[in-house]
Amino acid sequence: MLHRLTRRRVLAVALAGAVGLGTLAGCGSGGDDESSGPVKLRFLSLAWQKESLQANKDLVAKWNAEHPDIQVEYVQGDWNSVHDQLLTSFEGGDAPDIVHYEAASIGEFSRQGYLADLSGLLSDDFKGQIDKGVWDTATFDGKVTGVPFLLESQVVIANKKLLDAAGITVPPAESGWSWDEFQTNAQKLTKPGQYGVAWALKSPTNRVLNLALNFDGKYFYPDGGKTEVRIGAPETEVPKRIHDMLYTAKSAAPEALGMSGADTLPGFFAGKYAMIPGSVSLRQQMVEQAPKDFDWVTLPPVRGLSANQAANPQTLSVSADSAHPKEAAQFLEFFLNPANMAQLAKGDWLVPTGKQANEELVKATGGKQGWDVAAASAADLTVAPFQMVDGYPEWKTKYATPALQQYFANKITLDQLATQLVDGGKQVLR
Amino acid sequence: MTTDATLTRAQPGRNRKRRNRVGRGLQYLALAGYLVFLAFPLVWLVSTSFKPPRELVKLHPTLIPDHPTLANFVQAFTEQELGRAAWNSLQVSLASAVITVLIATPASYALARFRTRLGTVALGWVLLSQLFPFVLLIIPIFLVLRQVGLANTHAGLVLIYVVWALPFALWMLQGFVRNIPRELEEAASVDGATRLQTLRRVIFPLLTPGLVATALFAFISAWNEFFFALVLIKTPELATLPVALARFVGIEGTARLGPLAAGSLLATLPSLVFFAFMQRRLASGSLAGAVKG
Amino acid sequence: MTTLTERPEVDRTGGRRPSRRGRSDRTTVYLLLLPSLLPVLVLSVFPLLRGIYLGFTDARAGRNVEIGFTGLANYRELLHDSLFWSSFRIGLLWAFSVTVLQFVLALGLALLLNQRLRFRGVARVLAVVPWAMPPVVVGILWRLVYHPDAGLLNEFLHRVGADGLRTTWLGDFSTALPAVIIVGVWAGMPQTTVVLLAGLQGVPRELHEAAEVDGANAWQRFRGVTLPSLMPVVVAITSLDFIWNFNSFGLVYVLTAGGPGGKTMLPMLFAYEEAFRYGNYGYAAALGNVMVVIVVALLAVYLRRRLREAN
Repeated sequence: MLHRLTRRRVLAVALAGAVGLGTLAGCGSGGDDESSGPVKLRFLSLAWQKESLQANKDLVAKWNAEHPDIQVEYVQGDWNSVHDQLLTSFEGGDAPDIVHYEAASIGEFSRQGYLADLSGLLSDDFKGQIDKGVWDTATFDGKVTGVPFLLESQVVIANKKLLDAAGITVPPAESGWSWDEFQTNAQKLTKPGQYGVAWALKSPTNRVLNLALNFDGKYFYPDGGKTEVRIGAPETEVPKRIHDMLYTAKSAAPEALGMSGADTLPGFFAGKYAMIPGSVSLRQQMVEQAPKDFDWVTLPPVRGLSANQAANPQTLSVSADSAHPKEAAQFLEFFLNPANMAQLAKGDWLVPTGKQANEELVKATGGKQGWDVAAASAADLTVAPFQMVDGYPEWKTKYATPALQQYFANKITLDQLATQLVDGGKQVLR
Repeated sequence: MTTDATLTRAQPGRNRKRRNRVGRGLQYLALAGYLVFLAFPLVWLVSTSFKPPRELVKLHPTLIPDHPTLANFVQAFTEQELGRAAWNSLQVSLASAVITVLIATPASYALARFRTRLGTVALGWVLLSQLFPFVLLIIPIFLVLRQVGLANTHAGLVLIYVVWALPFALWMLQGFVRNIPRELEEAASVDGATRLQTLRRVIFPLLTPGLVATALFAFISAWNEFFFALVLIKTPELATLPVALARFVGIEGTARLGPLAAGSLLATLPSLVFFAFMQRRLASGSLAGAVKG
Repeated sequence: MTTLTERPEVDRTGGRRPSRRGRSDRTTVYLLLLPSLLPVLVLSVFPLLRGIYLGFTDARAGRNVEIGFTGLANYRELLHDSLFWSSFRIGLLWAFSVTVLQFVLALGLALLLNQRLRFRGVARVLAVVPWAMPPVVVGILWRLVYHPDAGLLNEFLHRVGADGLRTTWLGDFSTALPAVIIVGVWAGMPQTTVVLLAGLQGVPRELHEAAEVDGANAWQRFRGVTLPSLMPVVVAITSLDFIWNFNSFGLVYVLTAGGPGGKTMLPMLFAYEEAFRYGNYGYAAALGNVMVVIVVALLAVYLRRRLREAN
């Protein structure tokens, strides 16, 4: 008797479970109610370096103290999982109100309709602080879905002692070397046990496409209503020169090919590599990790026809599902005012997008530790065609990255590289 | 050499002992090889956690830090609330382990001892749920948990972890039950033991090693699980340890290695301690005793 | 628990009659199974069925996107997806190598840890280190091991004077896959070892002693006594290991991101990118369905043969 009762009860629970599942198909929303009390905003931030984390937390605390009616909750995410985390919470209808990410990656979320259009929510004064070219990186189908705030330009960091020993002078911040000069100097810095350059090319695609703008290499061209990949002389210039340094001049270290950004540091600090092209943010590692007697210098971006580079700024966006987009925008204007933006940029060793913030930063640092070069490089950063292409992530992972890795490992020719990139484009951009 | 040979030939008993000693030596050597392979990353983790930033980028790394420091531990604990995160993780993992063992034991007994269609279907389903690409299940699972009100709760995490550990638990435990001779049970019931008594006195002791393996599996997979803990828990106070640790990782494979190593070291220890207590139960002799008794 | 205490009553009254026995057995089975099946039902039925269904649709990521049923369209596309099939081959090679190496090494270790050795407890605890370490740090540590300039492996080769063997382990086209396989073996070994060690406790010692008296050597005892009674556990853990290994990609993603030149692009990583990076849920689910069918077929062959041997 007893066990039959239990059985029935168990059945009931099972049924309840099934009913619960059934209702799933119906309603999707059901957000938390917060009808009374202060407005609550969840801010997913990706700051991770010590100083920048502190700067972020300080600013949020300051805001919360000044705005008792709009309280911001600071949630720290991380760069590796943020994409999956955001997609899941967007799809699940449970996204944070304010999202920190990067221009190259929010395009997709923007087109999927998950990010709010900020153009009507921000003041003209605020918008005027940032150049149009930079705004373009976060504008998709006419909608501004992110505020670009930190820029990462590609510079060259060099071992000053080795430059001096080779009789090479440091160029001024505003006018860097041409690619030819860079290659010649790399050659001069190469001798047994020492390479002129270490190109960290574990993820080669963004790197190459960013720099390709030096020679006006666009890779993606509009063709009627569609986009297609074209590889001509402007596109092949940068990969060809890197390949040359690796295999003809042998001034670039082949073992660095599989490395990502900071992996080159042990070799750089030990004098094995004289120069490492990389992000301006590498300066932080210089300050924190270089041996005490190590003398480093930041060289301005290398120039081809121009010093143009693709800008992929970090951005702050507001979720389309946020119940309080106005308050969120209000917070963004505070969070990214010139003084605050300068503070955030300093914490992350990146370049602020705001003109005034940039000036303040140079003034505050006296242009030391490469801040002069970083500030000057901001003018060369612009939007590149690939950033606006819908299928770019797929083209990059499936075709471009493997093809470039093969080319830089000297397994295929330049022509084969071009064919693979174009064919990949045909597959993806249908 | 010759005397040795004659001696051993003369005394076969001693010869055997000698061979045993050589065998023992080889066994220790093999074990040492295994442990170096399996445990050296932990040694390196310890070393890293005491190194200042400048020593992390040496071209020729050294095991012993030149200038050992506790700064990484201080940083790890002051910046992220690792203590609270560890406490959260401990609760979730223990609950997952206990519940998994409690519900999987009867089920695996049923699966091993009775042939029913439901049992076959259940086992098949459980295997299928492991096979299907996990990444494609994440969003629907998230939706289900939201719907039943378990999003942003530890209970929701425990539910996921239990379901995650069940396939392993069921497959393993039913294998262990199958290994227990049916005669033992029958002998006990002939002796007049009730079914429950049989279970408790005969089956349970013999199942202990399997239960240890299962509990350990459930505990460690819950302790280390990252993604659901990340998307399901919104309130920072409820965050678990893996989520807190991930915050020391940066862009493109960079990380704040010092604090990460310090935090990871402390995250590794509980699982090891847990196993240190449990491993005694992995001792042979239990079955022998049962047959005799 | 109440139901369990009550069971014997039922048994004692009608236990001898086969028909009653059969019915009460079924009830028992259901009651014993339900606590396990319920959470599985709640959490996996809807997601799993939905996942399978999506494989026949054009579902994409997006807000309020409509899902259209497309029948076998995804599968027709998949047939010609040479990138997927090449990653599938890599996946089988990866899962097979890792599972076999894991099993062979773990069996050896389990046998050692089952001996009455000194420091056995300590050795056992150290043997589960890879399992206990947080995955987030594991990938980073192994990158330090394989680092071309300052890596522990190259440093070791340098110190023993084998500089000729130094290479860029994860960046070289020929060493990348073996290098990640070793990490996979390392990471999964403790689990297999613990299971086998637990399984070894079920090997009747009398049989061992009897065999020893009969003059069987260690190998003969292992083949004749240990292995046969360990078999059910071996079958279960190797099947699960294979599935897990086939489905795992997180560690490889951290180490190589599928490179160089796609040499370590595992099929699950491929499916993950389709779903989470390009938003092609429908296509990704179709990949999942196909992989499930193939792996089930492989396992069925394996399980059938093993179980027949065991009986």
